[in-house]
Amino acid sequence: MYDVIVVGGGIIGCSVAWQLGKRGKNVLLLERNDSASGSAGATDGFVGCHTKKPGPQLDLAIQSIAMFDEIMEDLGPDIDFEANAGGLQPVEDKEQWDVLSQMVEKQRESGVDVRMISAQEACRLVPGLSPDIYGALYSPTANKVNPLRLTFAYRRLARESGVTILDGVTVTGFTLEGGRIKAVQSDHGEFPCGTVVNCCGSWAGKVAKLAGLDLPIKPRKGQLAVTEPIGFYMRPTLQCARYNVIKFHPERIKDPTVLRLGSSMNIVQTAEGGLVFGGTREFVDFEGENTFEAIETMAKRVLRFFPQLKDVSVIRCFSGFRPYTPDGLPLLGEVSSLPGFYMAAGHEGDGIAMSPITGKLIAELIVDGAPSYDISSFSPNRFLV
Amino acid sequence: MSEKGELIICRCQEVTQGEILEAIADGATSVDGVKRRTRACMGLCQGKTCGRLVQNIVARETGQAPADVLPQKSRMPARPVKLGAFGGSEDV
Repeated sequence: MYDVIVVGGGIIGCSVAWQLGKRGKNVLLLERNDSASGSAGATDGFVGCHTKKPGPQLDLAIQSIAMFDEIMEDLGPDIDFEANAGGLQPVEDKEQWDVLSQMVEKQRESGVDVRMISAQEACRLVPGLSPDIYGALYSPTANKVNPLRLTFAYRRLARESGVTILDGVTVTGFTLEGGRIKAVQSDHGEFPCGTVVNCCGSWAGKVAKLAGLDLPIKPRKGQLAVTEPIGFYMRPTLQCARYNVIKFHPERIKDPTVLRLGSSMNIVQTAEGGLVFGGTREFVDFEGENTFEAIETMAKRVLRFFPQLKDVSVIRCFSGFRPYTPDGLPLLGEVSSLPGFYMAAGHEGDGIAMSPITGKLIAELIVDGAPSYDISSFSPNRFLV
Repeated sequence: MSEKGELIICRCQEVTQGEILEAIADGATSVDGVKRRTRACMGLCQGKTCGRLVQNIVARETGQAPADVLPQKSRMPARPVKLGAFGGSEDV
């Protein structure tokens, strides 16, 4: 009999399992495939506040990113965490400038170190950047990390804290008794427990359905590509301003292809020297293949801002699913109609940055009965009334 | 680490046999599982050289037949392609 079964061994599940193990709980982690085989293995490693919507999402991100400091010693040096690498968003026109300026003002009120800068200043920070821009948003405190290594660091810590990890186990249902969780059913038999945490990311809606819950978490595909390693090219992470416009004001996008693919440019140079660029935001269910249309659109965006990269080779394209929710906020907390069933999913593109705080607060909620930070805005019950 | 452990399996990323064995001990049962833990197959050749070697090591260590070990997922492009060739000139 386990105290808690964490379903889903991705970045969120491993973080939650570690924090629960650390608090003395007897934890079983069930993973259908392998850690980082879903979203965390198919993304860049951007960890910053300036892409977060002012309000509960941004405030939670601030808490989460600050937590990296506390847990850095546990995570170890291999995760390639680069503090204060900086984050830039080149802006192409006055309209984007106005949208971002408004957002920056609100983010500054929440305490984020972010400001609008001139094209010249942007090009000083990233010398490869085309001077043909209107200006840029800049946050000097944005960080980057290797998301694969971060996931495996959480997994190692979970195991060291006593968590039992079973890979290759598919959850097929839940046994309920008197309206409470009694056991998790799987293709490897039944595991009795009193508490379940659903950390299945884009698949969390499907797993919730096995418990009779209808939760609106949908997969949103993001396509990316990586280039051959090149010498040092840029320290900050970059997103074109269209990234935030698509994220927060999709009604302002006129081009139907751009809107359908949700295509903007993110670009990050990894510790190994490759440039990881993306991305798209597409609703195509769980269809995960790369499409030439998307890669072409993304490559054009990269060359729009970095024309000198035209002779650098792409060595691999890839894609991942981001767990989308209708209001852009994750689902964190207990389902009131099913005591013992907790949700920790739906972070869309923010799961890497939100992984520290999600583990900590869910563990506090389960162990202490209440988290140290108010997460009522993220309650899964908002979709279940 | 023994001499065998220092044997380089993935030349692009300089991943040793010892590191691959550690990845398998951590739970990797496929080429992708090894890849995500070690970066083997993530270099310029994208596993064209080492993919089969990794597959064989996983098979040997996990008691599977080599053909049953999942190879890495194939993705475009089949060989390196310049950004300029992918992207053309005008952006939308």
